[in-house]
Order: sequence, then structure tokens, then C-alpha cells
Amino acid sequence: MKNWYLVLLSLVAAFVLFIILSFFYNQNTAEELELSEPIQIVLKSIEGQPMDFWDVVNQGINEAAKEFGVQVKILGPRFEKEINRQINIMNAVIDEKPPLIVLAASDYKRLVDSVKKADSLGIPLITIDSGVDSEIPVSFIATNNVDAGNKAGKEMKRLIVENESKTIAIVSHIKETATAIDREAGVREALVGEDIIGTWFCDVEQEKAYLITMELLKDRSIGGIVALNEVAALGVARAIDETGASDRVVVVGFDNAVRELAYLEEGIIKATVVQRPYNMGYLSIRTAVEYLKGNKVETFLDTGSILITKENMFKREYQELLFPVSKE
Amino acid sequence: MKRTLRFGTLESRIYMIFTLMIFATVFIMQLVSFRFTMNTVRNSTLENNRILLGQLVKQIDSYITGMEQISLAVQNDIQLIEYLQNGSNSLSSEFSFIQQRLGNYIQARNDISDIIIVGHDGTVISGDPATSLNPWTDVSEKEWYKEAVKGSGQTVVSSSYVQNIVAGRYSWVVSLSREIFSSNQKESLGVLLVDLKFNQIKDLCQSLVVGRKGYNFIIDSERNYIFHPSQQLIYSELRLEPIDSIYALLGEEGEPFFHDEDKYFMIATSALTGWHIISVTNDSDIVTDWQYVQVSYAILGLVLFLVVGYATNRISTGITKPVRKLQEIMKSVDTGDFRLVGSIRATDEIRELAREYDIMVGHIRKLMEANVVEQELKRKSDLKALQAQINPHFLYNTLDSIIWMGEMGQSKEVVLMTSALSKLFRISISKGREFIPISDEIAHVESYLIIQKMRYKDKFEYSIDIDPGLYNCKILKITLQPLVENAIYHGIKEVDHKGLLHISGKEINGNIQLEVIDNGKGMTSKEIENMNKSLNGSIDDSGLSRHGMGVHNVHERIQLYFGEDYGLSYFHAEGGGTRITVLIPSKNMEV
Repeated sequence: MKNWYLVLLSLVAAFVLFIILSFFYNQNTAEELELSEPIQIVLKSIEGQPMDFWDVVNQGINEAAKEFGVQVKILGPRFEKEINRQINIMNAVIDEKPPLIVLAASDYKRLVDSVKKADSLGIPLITIDSGVDSEIPVSFIATNNVDAGNKAGKEMKRLIVENESKTIAIVSHIKETATAIDREAGVREALVGEDIIGTWFCDVEQEKAYLITMELLKDRSIGGIVALNEVAALGVARAIDETGASDRVVVVGFDNAVRELAYLEEGIIKATVVQRPYNMGYLSIRTAVEYLKGNKVETFLDTGSILITKENMFKREYQELLFPVSKE
Repeated sequence: MKRTLRFGTLESRIYMIFTLMIFATVFIMQLVSFRFTMNTVRNSTLENNRILLGQLVKQIDSYITGMEQISLAVQNDIQLIEYLQNGSNSLSSEFSFIQQRLGNYIQARNDISDIIIVGHDGTVISGDPATSLNPWTDVSEKEWYKEAVKGSGQTVVSSSYVQNIVAGRYSWVVSLSREIFSSNQKESLGVLLVDLKFNQIKDLCQSLVVGRKGYNFIIDSERNYIFHPSQQLIYSELRLEPIDSIYALLGEEGEPFFHDEDKYFMIATSALTGWHIISVTNDSDIVTDWQYVQVSYAILGLVLFLVVGYATNRISTGITKPVRKLQEIMKSVDTGDFRLVGSIRATDEIRELAREYDIMVGHIRKLMEANVVEQELKRKSDLKALQAQINPHFLYNTLDSIIWMGEMGQSKEVVLMTSALSKLFRISISKGREFIPISDEIAHVESYLIIQKMRYKDKFEYSIDIDPGLYNCKILKITLQPLVENAIYHGIKEVDHKGLLHISGKEINGNIQLEVIDNGKGMTSKEIENMNKSLNGSIDDSGLSRHGMGVHNVHERIQLYFGEDYGLSYFHAEGGGTRITVLIPSKNMEV
């Protein structure tokens, strides 16, 4: 009888000891999320140029993964335009039933089926950069592209005032992509009352953007071009550079490819609106962790955008953003 | 141990107190040593960090020193300086000579990004021949250029920044710049710029980290970040470093160190650059394996509790077990059973106690035995006195009969009765002896019967049939007379027919059985049962008649002398009446 009391008492005492001991060091250690499977991330493109947009998103993701102690697995097609490939990758990822999927959708509509499938299997989803036409994702973390377009539009409006010709053209990257749609809407909103002759799509091909611009330049009245992403901006800038039209055509671009920044320094591009891909990657994982911990998450998180001109491009706080420290 | 733990017992108290004390001790010991171990490990980890941080600072300084040596080498390169002095001629051969010369210096070290000489007239000579200058930037507006001119010959170390002096190239560098002078030290030739690849410092900072979450960052004295692994988070305020705490600590001597929540910050300052390098260690990395340590401490605690608990159990049982045994034996006193403890395995004190108890019990036993003997003797003498008493009624009735017979002139009957009375008395007294031969007892009862038969004028007849072989056997005196008296008064006297009284005696199984049988009134079975019960004391006998008392006393005397196997019993006699048997041992001792 008494031996039972003893064993019981000892067990209780040892347990109490265990609990007290954990107070000794757990007081400082924040609760960590334990996942058996990695969070899977499907990006639009993973094999682009080093230090381009998606590479920096990767860095942000990895930094957050390190900070919050979670495993991540980053996947995606080689090029942004490979929508079918992304859908296939997405479906393969869903079959693995990860705890959460982070998706940067290449197409606003065509990925909806995959998103619904993930939802039916109870896999939570967070979209980054470009959303999908669905209410399913628990959070959407992106640049507020309307806002970003607005910034570009306002800068264009400011610059076009002093320009001789006031006709403005928009060179967009791809139809039916949320970023393109939103940016264009933002630009158009800021440029209400200005003479916008139309929107051209380069299908994320620099050459096409170049050709579009060459075509546009034939019309001497063209005074401003807003290029809605990096590829478009590069194509436009190359055409302007080659034709020496930088004096008469104001170019406002998006993103911060190195070449683009060189054009900015040269004055071919007058301003560019840059996003914060690092923060986007970081916040996607932070939000994912918050969600998996059971906390409430914002349905939309704006990672912000900044208007960069020749004057502020070497400011300390933007240097890292524009020129990520690379492995040279 | 079949007993449960009850409060109030010595055992449970010892057990509780011991257990509490020892458990508390183990607890405190474990907590203190755990804490101690933890602090030791933490301190040694932080000490290691400090060493790593020292190495980091040394490495950074060595990069800077290397650059400075290069800038000195350029300054002291007489050929180069001469070429520069004549630079106004702007000969392309001279230009390429200088370029080649600078290129050699770049190739000597792989951490140098570029070496550039900027003349005051705006000529720029880069060590890398493949590059062309960025036409869109103004060198004289650059921080490093202005600082170098201001420093007039002193080397100036810049913060980290994006160098855009080469067209199409934006590389992160840390610049070391100085003004260079002609060989006679009088004429300023321009500014020499040595760019260190910032990646070198970045990689260094990222490699010398502790744990999964550890990192280093560098700030300069103007609160600018030279390096931070997630600088963008800092600038967008997604992450904040406790810059104020860091700067507050900078003036202090020794090794500035503090911790903020779960992060430990260690600060070292590079003397060459004035940079503050901060090493951040996360507590979760220091205490990664603490779960295991915690579990092992808990298991160790469990083992200690069990061992100590078992030992306590044994100790308390060892003390209290003999006490409890003693207690159980002492309890036997309640039931009148005086048991001895005997030898017991216990401590000296308990053994002593047991021995003293045994002695006491021995004394009590002796006293009780003596008491019993004394009581018995007293009872015997009481009964003896009672038995020897002559019933006064009997005496004066007999004497009356004698007188009456004398008056009637029946002298023969007078003689017979008187001699019978005399014999009766003589045997009754028997010189004070308690035991007499059966022959004497027969004579005694016959004398009594003679007197009664004469008094009751042949109301009854009697016969005595006792084995003559038993005549010499001893019997308690006055055994038969009370029975005969009882038979006459309660049996024969109550009936009208002539009474018959028969006394017999024989030996059965080594015992003598005497019987007194009458044909008188007799008793119901219920009465016989009651009589037998009352003989054995199970029925209150205070209401008995004198005769009844007489019979009772006979029974009691037999049992006192011979034990409970012997005594009287009532039975029905054949043809009505009562039969009383007397059982006594044949070989009885003289008392």
C-alpha cells in the first residue's frame, strides 16, 4: 500500500520538478511553431536572374523561415508566362498536403480551380504578389498595385506638365494578371484628364515591348510612356535609348532591374516604382506562421511601394532595396 | 506491510517529516544545480560568442589594414607617382601604364573590387581596363572624395554603399580613400580610392554566427547600418534593433553586453573603422538541448525521490515496527492473556522496554496465580466450616425423639438412636480431616439414615450396595449425607407410598461413581435440567433451600478438590423419583 503512495508521490514530485525547471528557461523562449512538413511556396518564377524580384522574395522567405523556425520549400516554373506549368506544380504540391501553401498566381483566373482543390482538402492558402479570383486565400500579401500605379501616374502627371507632347501610352506586361490590371487602374486614376492613347501588352517579352515602343515613337506626339513592369520598362527604355528620344518622351517604369537603374541614372527612365519583394517574402512566412498558430491574420497586407528617381536612388535607405547585396 | 498510512501514528509522522524534508532538499538541490548548469552553459556560450566576435573584428580590421597597405604602396610607388605628375600630358601610353599598375594591385588581392585614382582635373584612372566610367555621376560630389581631400593625406574609411563610378556596375563596397601627393609631398595629385568588396565583410558576418537564429550586424557611429542581414526589414521597420541600448553601452569599458528579451547583444568596436559590430545570439539557440537536460533532471529527481522515499520508508518502519509489535503484545492484556514479548529485533531502547515489560508481566502472572490459590483455599475453608455445621433442627428434633422414646421406656431404641447420633458426629468431625475412607462415609450416612428412619417411623426403607473393594478409597467427608437428606425431604417425604432409598457405588474407568436413588416425588425434565445447570453455576442459585444448598456445596467441594470433570448430576430414576450420581476419582490424593 505504502509503496504505491511512494511511487505516486515520487512521480508527482518529479513532474512538479519538471514543470518548475521549464520555468527556468522557457520564460525567455518564445513559443515556436512545430511543423512536420515544410510550408510549400509556389512562385511565378524561380530560375530568373540572380537578384531579380523573385530571388529577393526568396531571400525574404528564407530569412523569415530562419527567424520563425519553420521549414519551407520553394517551387515554381522557370518563367512567369508558364501558367500551365505553375498549375501543374500547384496540383503536385496540393497532393503532398503541406500545412500551408503560399502562392504567387501567374493568372488571376486559371489558378482558381487549384485553389479550390486545396481548400477542399483543408490546406490553407496565402497568396502573394498576384492574387486569384477567389475569396479562399486567408491572406493576400502584395504591393498595393493600385497604389503603386497611382504613384507612377502622379509622377508622370508631374513630369508631363513640362513636356511638349502630352500624349501618354501604357505598356503593360500581360493581360488578365492582377498586377497589370491594378497598376493600370492606378495609373489611369492618377492621370484622369490626361490624354492616354491606350494600353499595349508585351506578354512579358522585352523584345515585344521594344517593338511596341518603336511603333509608338513613330507618332511624334507621344510624350510619355508608363511601363508597368520590369520587362516592359526595359524594352521601352531600350527603344528610347536607341532612338535618342529621351528628351521628348518621359518614361516612368516599374521595378528595379540593374539595367533599369542604369537607365534611370542616364535619365532615359525618369522614375520607377519599386516594390519590396524582400518584405513580401518575409511577411508571407510571418503571416503563414501566425495563421498556423491560430492567430488572426490580415486578409490584405500591403508591402508598400516607393517611387525612385535619380535623386534618391543612392540614398542609404534605398540602396539595399535597389541593389541587393549579391554574391558577385 | 498491510497497514495503510494513518495520521497520528509515530510511523506516519516520521515518514511524513522525513519525506517532506528530503523531497524539499532534493527539489532545492536540483533547482540550484539546474540553474547553475544553465548559467554555466549560457556563459560559456556567450564567452565563445565573444571570441567569435573578436575574430570578426580582427578579420574586418585586417581587410581594412590590407587596403591601407595597398593605398600606401600606391603612394610610395615612385614610378606611378611620376607618371601621375606628368599626367597633364595625357599620353595614352602613360594612362595604360598606370591602369596596368593599378590592375596588378587589384589582382594581388581578391577582396579588392577596384582601385581608382581621381585627378583633381577630373581624370579618372581605374585599375580595371575593361571598365568605362559612368558618365552620369559626378566624382567630386562623392563622399569619399570630399572626405579624402578634407583629410589631406589621411586615409578615410567610408561606410558601406553602392559604388556607381563604373558604368553599368553597381557594386557594394567599403571605400578607403586618401589624397595622394607628388614625390616632393607638395603637390596634391588627386585622390586614391581603394574599394573593398563588401561581400567579404557580409560573408564574414554571416559565417561567424552562433546558432540557427544568431546573426551579426554592423553600425557606424552615426547610427547608420553598415551591414545587417535583413536591412530591408530594418528600413521598413518590420524589425527593430535596440540601437539606443547599444549606443548607451558604447562608452563603457570592457565588453559591452546586454540582453533584450530572448536576445543577447554583444558589442565590439573596430578601432580602425570606428564600426560597432554587434553579435546577436538567441536564447533558444543557447538552450537548444535544455529539453533533454530538463528531462534528465526530472528523471534523476524521480530516481532520487524513489530511493530516498524507499529509504525513509525503511527507516520509519525499522523504528516503528518493533514498537508496533510491542504494542500488539501489550494489547493482549485486555483479554487477560498475559503474553511475553520474548526476543525482539529492535534498537537497544526498544529491547530494554520489552525486557522490562516481560519482567512486569512475570510479576503480574505470579501475583495472579497466588491470588487464585488463595481464593481457592478460602473457599475450601468456607465450605468446610459450612459442611461441619450441624443442622440445629435436626439436632433438637433427634434429641426430642430420644427424650420421647426415653419417657416411653423404649431404652433399646434410645440407645440405638443415641449411638447413631454419636457416630454421626464423630465421623463428621473425623479429627478435622477432609478425606475419610468410603467405609466411614457409609457409616456416617447409615447413622443418619437410622436416625431418620426411627424419627419417620418406617416411612421408608433403605439399602446400601457399595463395592467393598472401594471401602478403603478416600472420599470427601459428608458427601452422601446431604444427598440423602435431600432425597428424604424433597422426594420421599412428599409421597404417600412407602419410600425406598438405594445407595450404590462402583468403580467405572478408574473413577468411583456413587448413586443415591429414591422413589419419591421426582422431578420434571425441566427441573432436572435446571438443577444440573445450577450445579455448574450457570443459573443463579441464591434462591436454593438449605437442602439445596447442601447438595450444591457437595458439588462445589468435589470440583474444588478434583477439578471440573467431577461432581454431581441429576437424573430421572426408574419408576419415578430422582437419581443423583457422584463422580470422584478413585486415586485421589490426601490434602
